Amino acid sequence: MAGQSDPHLSIFSPSEVEFVAEDEIVEIVPNIRMDALNMICGDFGPFFPQIPTKVPLWLAVALKKRSKCTIRTPDWMTVDRLTQVLEAERESPREFQPLPFHYIEISKLLFDHARDDISDAYLVRSLIEDIRDVRFHKVETGLETISGRTHAVKLKNLSAMEVNIVRPFMVRTLQAFYKHDSPQMIQQADNTGSRATPVTDRGPRRDLRRR
Amino acid sequence: MKGRVVKLREAHKAGSPALCCASWGPSGQHVVTASAADTAVLIHDAATVLAGGRGSGSSPVVTIRLHKDGVTALAVAPGPSGSLASGSMDHSIKFYTFPEGEFQSNVARFTLPIRSLAFNRKGTLLAAAGDDDGIKLIATIDNTISKVLKGHKGSVTGLAFDPRNDYLASVDSIGTVIYWDLCIGAEARTLTRVAPTFRSDNSVRNILCWSPDGQTLAVPGLRKNVVLYDRDTGEEVCTLYGDHEQPVSCLCWSPNGRYLASAGLDRQVLIWDVKSRQDIERQKFDVRICSLAWKPNGNALLLIDVMGRVGIWESVIPSTMKSPNEGIPDLNSTKAPLFDDDDDDDDEDEEKPSTSGGLEDDMDETLSDSTPFSHKRPRRKSTFDRDSDNEDLTHQMESTKRMKDKHNKKEDAGKARGDSATSARLVTARMQAAFQPGSTPPQPGMRNFLAYNMLGSITTIENEGHSHVEVDFHDTGRGPRVPSMTDYFGFTMAAMNGSGSVFANQCKGDKNMSTLMYRPFGSWAGNSEWSMRFEGEEVKAVALGAGWVAAVTSLNFLRIFTEGGLQMHILSVSGPVVTAAGYEDQLAIVSHASDCLPSGDQVLDVKVFNISEGAQSMFGRLVLTPLSQLSWFGFSENGQLSSYDSKGILRVFSSQFSGSWLPLFSSLKARKSKDESHWVVGLDANNVFCILCKTPQSYPHVMPKPVLSILHLSFPLASSDLGANSLENEFLMRKLQLSQIQNKMEEMAALGLDTTTYDDEAFNMEAGLDQCILRLISICCSGDKLVRASELAKLLTLEKSMKGALTLVTRLKLPLLQEKFSSIIESFLFQERMLNNKIIAGTGRFCSNATIMTSTTVLTTQATLPSKFMQDGNSSLESSLPKPNLVNQQCSSTEPKNSAGEQGIEIKDSTGKVSSAFIPSTKVPKSSETKKHRNGASNSAVVDQNQEGDIDHTGAKKLSTEYCNRAEPQRPVNPFAKSSSSKEQSSSLLDSIKKMKVDKPNSRI
Repeated sequence: MAGQSDPHLSIFSPSEVEFVAEDEIVEIVPNIRMDALNMICGDFGPFFPQIPTKVPLWLAVALKKRSKCTIRTPDWMTVDRLTQVLEAERESPREFQPLPFHYIEISKLLFDHARDDISDAYLVRSLIEDIRDVRFHKVETGLETISGRTHAVKLKNLSAMEVNIVRPFMVRTLQAFYKHDSPQMIQQADNTGSRATPVTDRGPRRDLRRR
Repeated sequence: MKGRVVKLREAHKAGSPALCCASWGPSGQHVVTASAADTAVLIHDAATVLAGGRGSGSSPVVTIRLHKDGVTALAVAPGPSGSLASGSMDHSIKFYTFPEGEFQSNVARFTLPIRSLAFNRKGTLLAAAGDDDGIKLIATIDNTISKVLKGHKGSVTGLAFDPRNDYLASVDSIGTVIYWDLCIGAEARTLTRVAPTFRSDNSVRNILCWSPDGQTLAVPGLRKNVVLYDRDTGEEVCTLYGDHEQPVSCLCWSPNGRYLASAGLDRQVLIWDVKSRQDIERQKFDVRICSLAWKPNGNALLLIDVMGRVGIWESVIPSTMKSPNEGIPDLNSTKAPLFDDDDDDDDEDEEKPSTSGGLEDDMDETLSDSTPFSHKRPRRKSTFDRDSDNEDLTHQMESTKRMKDKHNKKEDAGKARGDSATSARLVTARMQAAFQPGSTPPQPGMRNFLAYNMLGSITTIENEGHSHVEVDFHDTGRGPRVPSMTDYFGFTMAAMNGSGSVFANQCKGDKNMSTLMYRPFGSWAGNSEWSMRFEGEEVKAVALGAGWVAAVTSLNFLRIFTEGGLQMHILSVSGPVVTAAGYEDQLAIVSHASDCLPSGDQVLDVKVFNISEGAQSMFGRLVLTPLSQLSWFGFSENGQLSSYDSKGILRVFSSQFSGSWLPLFSSLKARKSKDESHWVVGLDANNVFCILCKTPQSYPHVMPKPVLSILHLSFPLASSDLGANSLENEFLMRKLQLSQIQNKMEEMAALGLDTTTYDDEAFNMEAGLDQCILRLISICCSGDKLVRASELAKLLTLEKSMKGALTLVTRLKLPLLQEKFSSIIESFLFQERMLNNKIIAGTGRFCSNATIMTSTTVLTTQATLPSKFMQDGNSSLESSLPKPNLVNQQCSSTEPKNSAGEQGIEIKDSTGKVSSAFIPSTKVPKSSETKKHRNGASNSAVVDQNQEGDIDHTGAKKLSTEYCNRAEPQRPVNPFAKSSSSKEQSSSLLDSIKKMKVDKPNSRI
């Protein structure tokens, strides 16, 4: 997947992150009787009408599209919880509140496919957008504090989408700082790296030719 | 007065024309203003605004700067302790106290700017709208969004609640007016393009206004006029057409509805006498006026222009004419009661104000007798109780409140009952009325369940004299699609199964007779639904099953009909019916046996009929928890009669002790928090399916669709000193299930049916039970409860598990138990052998052990073997390994020789007979009619010597009994001994039991 996106940026595109998020488990209420599904990622079901079951998001969405189930809104996607989170996010400018790693993607998928299953969808959506904005803002302001002395940045509770956005910048910044701090080390590392690889490369080739 | 110019004073600084709004406080002493170009909301003293015109320049009383962007909308809730709501371009709505202007809460968040706000007349509901699609209705009591009304295509600029609270009118920037019915929360009427269109110009907006009596709605018209529309029909009543040179943008009714003020884009403000449809006053301003408001209790008009300048036009109506406050319509007297509930009616009476007092007094009264609401999300129930508004849309709250009241009453009643029971014993409790299992009480305006079971649900909603009944199957993939039905009878009870549904209604007065109706879901003949009418008789409970429909009536008649409507049986039942349930052939009826006992307990009888046989299969007392009522009654998925009472105990009828009720589930124990209750839907062998309800709700609502939760059945065990309650429970449950299966098998055998289908199930049960017992034994041993362990060992049914138990105690070094266990095994073996002998002697055609234990592979090799016995012995373990068999069999053939004593001889005896009878029986290996598990066990009597090496190997040395010593010699040769000796864990025992389970079906191929 990484190969599909721009290799220079070395990030996933949002749709790729969303694809990854489809493996998250959600709870559905099927309205059909169906035997267990044996997937590579695991067995899901059996499904009984009106009895909640846990399935990955992609399966939930697939079933929802065929109107075979309703998706239950995750606990964290309620208005009460989100308002709490939003308030906490605003109050603590240096910390991130614990939210599911894929909260942006999950909520987007649910809003796209299971809007009718979410109570107060409107408010929930705007709350999630607000939370996202607040957190992005926090990440951005946090980046400003990176200085030459920084060798690592610790960001707890950062979500997939947020990491994805700052990853290329962060990595390169740190690399740059590192480089400017100790140019010799970088050179050495580069040299040893470039020397080592041709040697190892030749090894197997010779073997092949001999055979 | 005429010709007096109203002077405006700057309140908000605006560089360019911006939309401003202004409003009076409810008492008319304060004035609130806001501007889209300013983030502040200002509360002024009305007097200073009036004086401001003369240049005193005093500052506003309160300045609120909480919005991040311009404030576009204001609304003041009526009442002296009212509150102020402001909506802004920053997408948020905020509440403040009024007139103090203290921030209370953020109400709601939109995704786009807000354009309009409106409170309803009692201030319980706030409508908010803007560029978002959808008008949000917010219950001010807890700031929850009770509804989102969608339908406008443009941004909504004007909102107005009908004073009678039936409708909300809204107008958007493209001129569409929509009447929303607040009861159903949907569009009642849409008038497209009736108002001017201002697409992008945000400094102009359409607004609308209800006349104070709610009869007409005033909307700016397309032709520089004001159009009045009728409340109910939405038809144009009249237009006010006159001297406006450009379209009207803003209007306002006088408090009595006699006059109307309108402001146009032509910078004029006109005052109309609505009756004569003529303008009586006018005033021209420098800039456009964008908001108008009549003083609620005086002859004055508040104005604000687009530059943010505010002013008050005093004495608008000439003194020669009627005052704008005279004859304010009294809405309460004309108001149609929306909720004629008892508790609401009381409030209603209190609310009825004196007409002379006018609007304000009215408000005073209303609000003084109810708690002033606060917007800080009051979750406390007490405010719910006291707040006495009967608004349509807050009826969710209302209903919870009402239910809570009921709940309290019930509790009180319960308490009273309890007290009386303990002290005086004078008050007798009421006998419970008839009910349908799985039904919920009807609620006005909402769907309720007539029936809800594991298969589907029947719901009904009353609507203008008739009801709509819908039948839904949970499994939408399989169940038939049943068209919804319009029901003119008003059915109050229903039952359904896979093939049809039955409905019945109570008789209402003399005209409406009680009717029973059956609707099949599918039939080979058309029009196969039928109905029956009962004269002077009322259906109390209905049930249906395979090919029959039953109804129990007020005359205590049990009427049984066929599926086609044939009246098959009419019986009399012994007492007033409580409920009825059907399952295939069985019909169960619960009836009152007598009045309640002095203690308050009900006396209920239950009868089970078998309809196809015309027999009564059970009669007895229905067991209830003291002082409880029956709340659910029915059959489990596998046909066990079950009941659930109001104290949350689920009971299942079992044939144990020749028929008794077993308490298998307690709601109180299963609930996770105190306010949870379980509404039972059904159960199967291991689980109960129920809907979780949070108090004050004790039953589920149709919307949102309830979700079933699965809870395990469990006996109400006393907390034992063993500390293994779950295991003990499992033991009891398995025992119960085993007995159920055995019962079924006996029944089938008695009918001469083939019971082989249940053999595997029964065997699995036994194996599971034994596993459970073994675990219990090990816990007993570690807890030093040796007597209990030996009792448990006696309950083991499989030979193999007995061996396992023996190994276990050997390993735990409990010689006492070892001795006990070996003697148990011996006596067990002895019994088995006696039984075998009897079978052999009794029946000429002995159906051999071998047929069950040997697999076909072994059968083929059998002919070459010298001793059938050996093969017999090993087959169970080695069916998959025919080759090592030979070695094994040879060694095991030495076994009987080694073994000394009676047993060995006996084994020889029996095996001799076995071998003699063996050959014919192999030809008919499946002719076995004896109970398989018996055979298996007796067979293993022969097998045991081999298995002993397998299981008991390590312990064998320590065993002092002769029996176990016999295992010694064969140890080095037996390949299984090796394999098992490497694993000394007790889990290997369970494995071997499992292996037996696997082997069994194989051997039957």
